[in-house]
Amino acid sequence: MEDTELGNKSLSRREFLAGTAAVLAGGSLLAACGGSTSTPGSSSTNYTFVLIQGVKGDPFYVTMQKGAQAMADKLGVKLLVDGPAQFSATLQAPIVDAYIAKKVDVMIIAACDKQAMIAPLQRANDAGIKVISVDTFIGNGDYTSGPVTFPLSYIGSDNVQGGMIAGQALIKSIGNKGGIYIENVTPGISTTDQRQQGCEQAIKATNGAVTLVGSNYDNDSAATASQQVSALLSSSKGTKVNGIFGTNLFSAEGSAQAVKNANKQGQIKIANFDAPQQAIVDLNNGVVDLVIAQKPSDMGSTAVQYGVYALTGKTSSIHKRVATGYVVIDKTNVNDPASQAAIYKSS
Amino acid sequence: MKVSDAATPSANQSQPGKTALRPLDIVSRGWSWLFLLLLIIFFSITGQGFLNIFNFQTIGADMSLVLIMALGQTFVILSGGIDLSVGFVMGMASVASALVMSRIGGSAPLLVVVLAGLTVGLGVGLIPGLVNGLVIARLRVPPFIVTLGMYGIARGAGFILSGGQPVSVQTNGIGQIGNGYLLYLLPDGRLSFFHLPSNLQGVRPSQIVQLLPFPLILLVIVVLICAWLLSQTRFGRHTYAVGGSEEASRRAGIPVARHTILIYMLSALLASLAGVLYTMRFSNGAADVGDPLLLTSIAAVIIGGASLFGGEGTVLGTVIGALIIAIIQNGLIFLGINPFWQFIAVGAVIILAVLVDQAKKQLVERS
Repeated sequence: MEDTELGNKSLSRREFLAGTAAVLAGGSLLAACGGSTSTPGSSSTNYTFVLIQGVKGDPFYVTMQKGAQAMADKLGVKLLVDGPAQFSATLQAPIVDAYIAKKVDVMIIAACDKQAMIAPLQRANDAGIKVISVDTFIGNGDYTSGPVTFPLSYIGSDNVQGGMIAGQALIKSIGNKGGIYIENVTPGISTTDQRQQGCEQAIKATNGAVTLVGSNYDNDSAATASQQVSALLSSSKGTKVNGIFGTNLFSAEGSAQAVKNANKQGQIKIANFDAPQQAIVDLNNGVVDLVIAQKPSDMGSTAVQYGVYALTGKTSSIHKRVATGYVVIDKTNVNDPASQAAIYKSS
Repeated sequence: MKVSDAATPSANQSQPGKTALRPLDIVSRGWSWLFLLLLIIFFSITGQGFLNIFNFQTIGADMSLVLIMALGQTFVILSGGIDLSVGFVMGMASVASALVMSRIGGSAPLLVVVLAGLTVGLGVGLIPGLVNGLVIARLRVPPFIVTLGMYGIARGAGFILSGGQPVSVQTNGIGQIGNGYLLYLLPDGRLSFFHLPSNLQGVRPSQIVQLLPFPLILLVIVVLICAWLLSQTRFGRHTYAVGGSEEASRRAGIPVARHTILIYMLSALLASLAGVLYTMRFSNGAADVGDPLLLTSIAAVIIGGASLFGGEGTVLGTVIGALIIAIIQNGLIFLGINPFWQFIAVGAVIILAVLVDQAKKQLVERS
């Protein structure tokens, strides 16, 4: 009786030692992984760059990483890539500090918060590290005359322009007349707010031929977006809707689901901002009609190029703001090389 | 296999086999120190640039938020409870202090701004702690449920206070406190306390040696106070007693309900202090800044040897636990390892910690 109780409740010494050994073995496995991933390629210079993503593993940032890596290989610099597990300044700041201690030459970063990340990046700059913003900015993004001017450049999409491009493409696809509804994410996110603003400008430019039926926020939930659009379509306003602009993937997918449920697929056109592979699958299945892709790969490659310019004294080639542009993908051009190159890669 | 393995210890039990168990005894008592030391040695050998005083004081400053939160959690877990609300209490306090500091900043002296931010931040943060304690102690609702509810309430309140947006603090000097150092050593050999002298023409920032970051100093003070509170005072003894057996404590005349309320207030107070520190270090306050730290803070307490059933654990243990996590997170960066491995490494250490704890209990039972 005593034996079984002991056996159930606690581990024998042998099991304990085996467990310890397993953990230690795991530790050395980690070390082995580290050894292999940190091996640099044949570099002509000794420069080390780090790309700190807004969140690790997101296809948008993975695509940015691929662009940065390609340029790093071309220019012979060593590129490290890191990022927090959640999009949070609390988690991103210690990573910045660790790379300051690691003494990298250039830090390319998609800051998680425009205010909170100023102090950590100021520390990096004080330590002599060149700081470059990609995708997001710190301060107000104006590195020439804004409150924060130490980063070399802000390389990212112009989201007002992106919203306008999306709006124009959507207006064209509904035949330049009718009504457009905007499904947005959460108030206060600068990028998605700017996309809505751009789309509204495109609608205004039609001088009344196209009207804004309404807009709503879904808190980044496809289920909520679907509910909201379903309610809209069954209301009196529903007949006025010819096109829907989803300011991100979930907003567009949820809207598309509601349109499908209302048997209006094809009659109501849907534009989706951002181009992860899921968005292209949706496009091919006729769930959405337009996909507006940013160019994260260009952000990564330009940032690495700029870093090398800064280290080699070619500062005149560096612009404080680079807007990387967009690709509009629909069913007719989805298989073109330019469109395929713009799709975000998840690995 | 398992059955025969399990039978072995009982064979040992019949013998006076104390000497045979000595090595395991040592490992179980000092294992966390040993593990921390092994980690530092391992990363020093494999990660170039890891072993560096500046890296270590950075680790200390960066872990201050999570460890201050974990210290409060230590008292709660010791008493047999759990506090899931601390992440969003921290966020709420950071918003409250940011609102005050940005409102009066510029018109009042810096010291007044800081004290006002601190007072309001801690004051606002104490409210959820008081409510947690009252509901748990007086209405007898399990801590897990109460603090899970408060997790949501504090989250909502933080977002409402801030209007859903981060509250930016532009006041000069606030960021300087959160990111400053006690001592600056200039390249010409001059020393400066608290802040850099203004006449620094021709000196590059990277030439200045900065020592003792303020968040690290605050952290050390808080650790010392908590260690004293737990090990030297009646409050500490009562905490262990309540965690060991609530019924026995009540019979021994300990005011268990009052004590429980105080413990949850202490936990909220420390979480709020972390929130105010966040605001000073990052020059803004937002409702969700503490959420990513909640589980890490609980992990630090568990790795530090505290039992989730209460009655066991020390402040020093929690410090070691938080250090182990921080060193793993920092060291893996020096090795260039994918950050997803951090979760696996920390997860494995948590399980290892509990395994050692069980092995230790087995030893105590046998002797």
